[in-house]
Amino acid sequence: MTSKPLPSLIAVIDVGTHKTASLLGQIIDGKARMLSFSERRTDGVVKGTVTDLERLTQCVHEVVNDIERGSGRAVEQVYLSLSGPAAEGERVKGFVAVPAHDGKVTAKDVSDAIQSAKRLEPPAGRATILYMRQPTMLDNRPVSNPVGMAGKRLEVNFWRVTMEEGNMRMRVGMVNGMSIKVRDFILASHAAACATASDADKQGVLVIDMGAGTTDWILYYKEHILCAGSIPVGGEHLTNDLSVALRISRETAEDLKLRFGSAMHRENDVNQTIWKDGDKGVGDQQFNRGTITQVLSLRYQETIEFVRKDVLRRLEAIFPGHAVKLDQNMIPSGVILTGGSASLADAAEAVQVVTGLSARVGIPNFENESLRKPEYAGVVGLMTAAITDAPPPVRRPRGLLDQLKELFRL
Amino acid sequence: MVTRLSAQLPAEIAVALLDTDARSLPAGTAATLQLGRAQTRGMGTGGEAALGLASAETEEAALRRLFAGVPVVVLVTGLGGGTGSGAASVVAGFAAECGATVLSFATMPFSHEGERRMRQANDATVKLGQKCHGLVVVHNDLLLQQVSPDAPLSESFAAADNWVGGALRGLASAFAPGALIAVDPAALRSLLSTPGSPTLFAFGVGEGEGAAMKAARAACDCPLAHAPGAVAKVASLFVTVAGGSAMTSTEAFEAVAAVRTRFGGETSTVLCARIEPSLGDRIEVSVLGASLPAPKAPAKPKKGAKAEDPAQPIFEFATEESMRRGLFGGTPMTFIDGQDVDVPAYIRKAVRLPPAP
Repeated sequence: MTSKPLPSLIAVIDVGTHKTASLLGQIIDGKARMLSFSERRTDGVVKGTVTDLERLTQCVHEVVNDIERGSGRAVEQVYLSLSGPAAEGERVKGFVAVPAHDGKVTAKDVSDAIQSAKRLEPPAGRATILYMRQPTMLDNRPVSNPVGMAGKRLEVNFWRVTMEEGNMRMRVGMVNGMSIKVRDFILASHAAACATASDADKQGVLVIDMGAGTTDWILYYKEHILCAGSIPVGGEHLTNDLSVALRISRETAEDLKLRFGSAMHRENDVNQTIWKDGDKGVGDQQFNRGTITQVLSLRYQETIEFVRKDVLRRLEAIFPGHAVKLDQNMIPSGVILTGGSASLADAAEAVQVVTGLSARVGIPNFENESLRKPEYAGVVGLMTAAITDAPPPVRRPRGLLDQLKELFRL
Repeated sequence: MVTRLSAQLPAEIAVALLDTDARSLPAGTAATLQLGRAQTRGMGTGGEAALGLASAETEEAALRRLFAGVPVVVLVTGLGGGTGSGAASVVAGFAAECGATVLSFATMPFSHEGERRMRQANDATVKLGQKCHGLVVVHNDLLLQQVSPDAPLSESFAAADNWVGGALRGLASAFAPGALIAVDPAALRSLLSTPGSPTLFAFGVGEGEGAAMKAARAACDCPLAHAPGAVAKVASLFVTVAGGSAMTSTEAFEAVAAVRTRFGGETSTVLCARIEPSLGDRIEVSVLGASLPAPKAPAKPKKGAKAEDPAQPIFEFATEESMRRGLFGGTPMTFIDGQDVDVPAYIRKAVRLPPAP
């Protein structure tokens, strides 16, 4: 799908549990200039799972209408984000034995290996949504371009993302309903990483995108995606815990979370009394700030711990029998934390405490200041990923080299 | 647990132990009934609720004999395993059919006991709620929150015994002869007769000077009443105050007033007071409450359908679902490492929260 040349207009839609955001950009010299942006409260999604398709479709249509009205341009195709546990990833491999006549890898060997990897059927009832390239190995050594190199055994690897067929049809149908095509799916965690991590970071970095309903993560190693996963816990769980503990409504809990919450619980939080409204009038309520930070920090740190365990579990599946350690040697750039729930106070510190890695909050890199907030990493990253993952528009007749390049890019 | 409890109860209360595992039915302390001799041959159910259910059903005759002529049956059960999860609703059903008012105390497994036991316990609370008049769910996770992290495990179980034991003593002393303000079992029945209302239960003990107020405050702060999602205010209350011979009526009424401020009881409050010389300067307050259910829209009768569907539950209680999962109540459970992660982390980790200002 991505081998089609890049259009000059790109529309992306990030459907989250809490809000749906859409961005329309004009692509000039490989950079997006924002034409319009829209965000609306998502309806019909709970914990990252679609529960009411009709209302969600309505919501998606509204944001598309918004960006069309805002820009005066018609949207024909969109990139959709893919997040949550519904998008399951795994590593697939393809091998070829390099023919013995001169022992050098040819372009055909590479394409044969790719074909053999892609011949692996996804589990019954699931459809392949996307393949993301992982390091190519020649005789068990990672190589960036094996063509022309001598070796015996060529191995190509992909991170393959699959989704239950019905679920995928539903998502495509949601957009097709307004005669717009889904140009491609982009993994939400990959998008978040594209918005917040530099190429240098991608030598080794764990990007954690903590949204409202799910926490998606992706691990880059030597510029490639090594693995990715999702935990069905997010900011809504923080709000829920607070509403249960203090017996307050969702709205009050959300408000207290933002104003007094923290991902770290400190001793002197206890006995700090805070007021719900602050006017100490009728209906105002007092709370112990220690309760708020205790409840939130436990949930926050537990969620990060779930991510840490999930990363290790997947690494062990990729490298069976190896003692895998998630440390600063492996990922020198540490953790980039982004998504709406990265804005909770002391979030990076909590990640540091739980993982033992350096951590920072990722602010999306975008020309418009209004979108430079962690909560917009997803939608901004979709745009970045759409541009960088697609081949540049072809201007001149292609030589052999270009064709080869394209082959590697898939 | 029942063995320990029966020792604390007044002699007027008959205690019967029911289990499938022959080894847990010691002779002597209480009447025992081994369930499912044919199914389990005295070996327990191995966690199979279906086996627990079948075991109880085969003992129908013996169970009905046990409940014959008993006005109030209090069923104490641990859910999650096979016997409790399977047999409890059957036993409660027989007791109710025999004409007794059935109040159940059910303990839920710890979060760490895993997905299967939690699901089994959840299913059981729904079934049990349909069969009995009152259902109080005791979360084992809450027990852990009550004791300091380095306390021995036995201490947290002792807390559970205390609460349930207190409830039983409270109820027992209400009906037993000799109470200062006595009530008859019909009062309990009318309190719990409102179908579809969650049952509130709280228990507190106070000692020394101002014991009654201390006990009332302890009851107000009782973790069982603070279980997430538990009802905050109820329409009807049944309050028992028991104390040593020094307890004054002023003290007793102050305690009741404090409890009413916290829990409501606007529609009716049944008060029972009793002198128990053995309590010394201790005073125990136990609170049982029920609310009127939210009015439901009348179901539209379908053409050709019977007027009443016999499969429809008679009672609906606030179950595990709405008790602990808050805003996620009604959504499918999400398990990670065998824990339902929609339940707040502080509850699963049994962390005691700082006190409210």
